[in-house]
Amino acid sequence: MTGYSPRREISLRTREALHGYGFILIWVVGFLLFTLLPLIETFRYSLNQVTVTTANINLNFVEWANYTRALFTDPNFIELLIGYTIETLVSVPIVLIFAMIIAMFLNLKFKFKGLFRVIFFLPIVITSGPVIKELTAQGAAAVPGIGNIPAVIEFLEQLPRALRTPVEYLLTSFILILWFSGVQILIYLASLQKVDRSIYEAAAIDGASSWATFWKIILPSLSTATVVNAIYTIVSLSHFSENKVIRYIYDRTYDVQGGIGYASAMAFIYFGVMIILLTIVYLFLRQWARRGTN
Amino acid sequence: MMKKKKWYSRYTGIRNRGINPQGFHVSQIKFYVILVPLAVFMLLPIIFIFSNAFKPPDELFAFPPRFFVVNPTTKNFTDLFAKLSTSGIPVSRYLFNSIAITIVTVLASILVSSMAAYALSKKRFKLKKTLFAINNVALMFVPIAVTIPRFLVIERLNLLNTFWVHILPVLAMPVGLFLLKQFIDSIPDEVLEAAQIDGASDWWIYWRIILPMIRPALATIAILTFQAAWNNADISTLYINDESLRTLAFYLSTLTATTTATTTANTVAGQGIAAAAALIMFLPNLIIFIFLQRQVMSTMSYSGLK
Repeated sequence: MTGYSPRREISLRTREALHGYGFILIWVVGFLLFTLLPLIETFRYSLNQVTVTTANINLNFVEWANYTRALFTDPNFIELLIGYTIETLVSVPIVLIFAMIIAMFLNLKFKFKGLFRVIFFLPIVITSGPVIKELTAQGAAAVPGIGNIPAVIEFLEQLPRALRTPVEYLLTSFILILWFSGVQILIYLASLQKVDRSIYEAAAIDGASSWATFWKIILPSLSTATVVNAIYTIVSLSHFSENKVIRYIYDRTYDVQGGIGYASAMAFIYFGVMIILLTIVYLFLRQWARRGTN
Repeated sequence: MMKKKKWYSRYTGIRNRGINPQGFHVSQIKFYVILVPLAVFMLLPIIFIFSNAFKPPDELFAFPPRFFVVNPTTKNFTDLFAKLSTSGIPVSRYLFNSIAITIVTVLASILVSSMAAYALSKKRFKLKKTLFAINNVALMFVPIAVTIPRFLVIERLNLLNTFWVHILPVLAMPVGLFLLKQFIDSIPDEVLEAAQIDGASDWWIYWRIILPMIRPALATIAILTFQAAWNNADISTLYINDESLRTLAFYLSTLTATTTATTTANTVAGQGIAAAAALIMFLPNLIIFIFLQRQVMSTMSYSGLK
């Protein structure tokens, strides 16, 4: 994209390619050794019954048995997966909308703007590390007692079954969802600041209301950031150390009977579900972004 | 409040629409009404972790759990320090390991990821798209599942029980590359072309143009990597047998784990120690955050990009 015309000699292009490889080389080596190679190995494990002895690791090829066990025999895994899917589909839009609103506020000029920006970026040190562990252990991540209020229980009982779980999750973990929005706010803010101020002024002079400005100018200019944020949100929710599916896979890894092979298979199924979720969200957002720009 | 009046604000009332207000104005009160309560929510965890560390046992186990400490005590800390002084290896050893590992990891991983991100974003070569796609796929894989194969790779490379095993496996962080590439993508090619025409080398462009322009992203990645490295106890558990090469995070986790596991009488003290240890482990995160947030916030407002 450096704009060389095709007339240029081939050597220049090769040189550029070589420089490219040079910059990326260390990363590729590290990635191959510590991520890709283990990943392929894990896939191999998932097709085997794995027994670890003190001397070495024994593999016993079982085809797809680990996968069928996870999908059809295991009573917990599927339930956890469905729970995870619902939670993710509920959380992603909330995180995105919340982050977008906060970013728009923080992009305005008002007193203590800097302080507020720092506070809303704070979740970045909360959701990873010891803080969130303490909080979830103490049950403080939920709105205290909201699940026990009679009115709430009554309200939940009236909902159709399919809606009850998402709404209950939403009510009890609302704060937790908000804590996942630190980086997202930052990304939105960064792309909001790239919008030329004169566009807003031009729109205002043309008599556009703030509402129209939002839909016609701000939202379309945030479409790339929204895709990035959606991916980031799904990934960080799915890798969250207190995630139930991850806990379950982790516990199964150290089971006596074929734990590693079975856990690997579950990890791959989980991985597959994540990719499907990402694809759905990605396609949905791209559609929306296209319509926004037209 | 000083207000610089723009010429058009008198005619169109732009300022009062909240599009371009200067300084404080009554119309801004609605921002505070929304932002202040939300900001309090964001601050709660921090307040909680502080107040938890000073709670006496009966408050730690109170049901329903209490948010604020009523009778603050420093007993948790004295218990923790008493435990520390009885350990076989001086705590300073663990502390030194943690600090050294964290510094090297943060600097090296920022360098590696940003270089790779620059190449993926602005250079043209064959495998570019494939590499980024592979990275995005790897981004989604659960790290726990690759633990054992990774162990085998590390064993074969003779890295077990070395200082480097703490650093090398985490250098190629997929999330870091993903975020940095997105930020570099938004730097217009014209800027780089102008530099190239002036005879700037690739390295010069990377060091003098790319890095300064993505400082907010770099600072974000630095905060994320710092936390991952500082709080990492797994590597010490899995790949290290030599006690003198383990980290503070590992040491504190064993401290609280053993106290909770033994007897029920000890769990009470264990919870207190755990709360105090959590605060001590958390403080560097907060300090790094306060230190780096200025990089994140200040450069963003006038990065010169449109």
